[in-house]
Amino acid sequence: MDTQIENPTHVTEDLKGKILESYREYMLMNDQEPPSIYAFCKEINISEEDFYEYFNSFEQIADAIWSELFSGVVKKVEDEPEYIEYAIREKLLSFYYEFFIQMKKYRSYAMITIEDGLANLGGTPSGMAEMKKDYKAWIKDLIEEGIRNGEVASRSKLTDAYDSIFWYQFLFLLNFWKRDKSQGFEKTDAAVEKSVTLTFDLIEKNALDSAFDFGKFIFQNR
Amino acid sequence: MKEQDKIPTTRLQRTGKFLNTGAKVGGNYLKYYGKRFISGEDDNEELQRKNADDIYAALSNLKGGALKIAQMMSMDQGMLPEAYSSKFAQAQYSAPPLSYPLVVKTFKQYFQKSPGEIYDDFTKNAVAAASIGQVHRAKLNGKELAVKVQYPGVADAIGSDLRIVKPLVGALFNISQSDMDHYLVEVKSRLIEETDYELELKRSRQISEACGHIPNLAFPKYYPELSSGRILTMDWLTGKHLDKFLEGNPSQELRNKIGQTLWDFYNFQIHQLKQLHADPHPGNFLLEDDGTVGIIDFGCVKVLEEDFYQTYFRLMEPGVAEDTEVFSKLLEELSFLLEADSEKEKAHFTAIYAEVHELLGRPFFSEEFDFSDKAYFTTIFQQGERLSNDKILRKANAARGPRDAIYLNRTYFGLYTLLHQLGAKIKTHMNRALQKESEVLV
Repeated sequence: MDTQIENPTHVTEDLKGKILESYREYMLMNDQEPPSIYAFCKEINISEEDFYEYFNSFEQIADAIWSELFSGVVKKVEDEPEYIEYAIREKLLSFYYEFFIQMKKYRSYAMITIEDGLANLGGTPSGMAEMKKDYKAWIKDLIEEGIRNGEVASRSKLTDAYDSIFWYQFLFLLNFWKRDKSQGFEKTDAAVEKSVTLTFDLIEKNALDSAFDFGKFIFQNR
Repeated sequence: MKEQDKIPTTRLQRTGKFLNTGAKVGGNYLKYYGKRFISGEDDNEELQRKNADDIYAALSNLKGGALKIAQMMSMDQGMLPEAYSSKFAQAQYSAPPLSYPLVVKTFKQYFQKSPGEIYDDFTKNAVAAASIGQVHRAKLNGKELAVKVQYPGVADAIGSDLRIVKPLVGALFNISQSDMDHYLVEVKSRLIEETDYELELKRSRQISEACGHIPNLAFPKYYPELSSGRILTMDWLTGKHLDKFLEGNPSQELRNKIGQTLWDFYNFQIHQLKQLHADPHPGNFLLEDDGTVGIIDFGCVKVLEEDFYQTYFRLMEPGVAEDTEVFSKLLEELSFLLEADSEKEKAHFTAIYAEVHELLGRPFFSEEFDFSDKAYFTTIFQQGERLSNDKILRKANAARGPRDAIYLNRTYFGLYTLLHQLGAKIKTHMNRALQKESEVLV
């Protein structure tokens, strides 16, 4: 029967969600991880067996929180009817705006778990390893799309670094948002708009490409 | 329209822009003096045109307060050389738009829905730009709508913008930095008000209702349920901007009709409502071929306090400048003359103000005034230029005049300019305006 096939997945998704939600709540209330998986399971009333079905460690849960948020945001913006008409610049903009809308619900959690001064670190904030992979993969697809439609200049070796540049941008914005005290995080909106514009101005075909091309031509025709 | 979403926002970035302009303006002066040295020709107008180009180019890259100041200066044609003002007058048409995802974000912030979900149709690109926002065209239930969306964080940027333009404006008008504050308090509070679309909605409805009886005026209907702090939805008004309207060679009769409507509109606001639409730049008036004048944008409204109104409009009485003693007392009351002025300065300034009073008040002192009179406007410009070079006036670099008059004067300058461009002949009936309210409405 159909319902019997559907039901288990429904339940499992619920359980996974419950673990994520409970972990986040625990962190918010206690400002630190639960003492053990056993204690955590007991507290939220599930069996350890069920827990290991989905996760092996708290670290994995922390990773899953951000990667689920990320995939949720991507799905949401990609489902919007306008999305398909967008240039990749606008696709990225709408991702960031939606991301920071969703982040409102995660602000306290982010304040506790994400280290300060990320932009300088340039690395991976704790709990964001998974998300970083997903984000970079998503950006790579966008950039390829951009190269195909001429929005992005292909610059051989440098092109491979584009996804890292965008990851820095993401970290910058995350850091900015953490410090943003403006009403409705309006300044973060402005920061998104400006930093995306800047990044695209850099990776678009621009004077640099023409200069390089010209230099090459002169060099070859000495 | 190419989207330029790069608005320099931090103070540092904006200051950079101005430094850039400053350097260029300096360069233009060098060229000017160089040219004069070589050719012996005095090409002052070209110099000012070039400076205006550069300052304008820098200002048009800014939004918020700085662009607003450019617009304000463009209206004060009497204070600025002609080349500046015509260049600045463009500011109202050409501020670049923000990206569509940001517009969507703004809608979601206030309505939890994207514009596509709210309206039947919504343009992705802005159809017009304003200094602190942009206008999209939309459709809902068969109605054409104009939707104004404001940039994020404009209110915050105003303070730092004003600090930057302070030295620039101070230098242009030779006013000391501390005296600039006297004016900037007023400018800042108007600018902050302009970022509040809820206030604008309220005032738009109030004033358009109060002026509803004036013939040939059209106001858009406003939709509070589709408006919020940074979004304003109103009916789309057809009608053309002044320059486009004039291209169609309207008859003198039609010009007079439109001019008269504008005049009556402002007269009623100033003398009856005592609060006025204080942003009379051409972009805010939409002219129909049948002579209907559509009025938009009540972002900048100046409320005239009774005390100020009573004192200030004594200046407008014909013949008030003839009795020097009475006149200079009035000037003191309005702080055109300051306590610190010497007797000699007082006499000098009183004479100047009498001259200004006679010239700028001229339209009020007759039943009818022909604003197409080129000689009249040339005289105003010449007077402005002469006064800005007046040695005694330049030396006394103090702020003069009540700050409440800034927006009122700006409105009159704007109105004069519009009527001049329109070439309209107006029944100014100043006497009627100064009568009791009941008599005026007859």
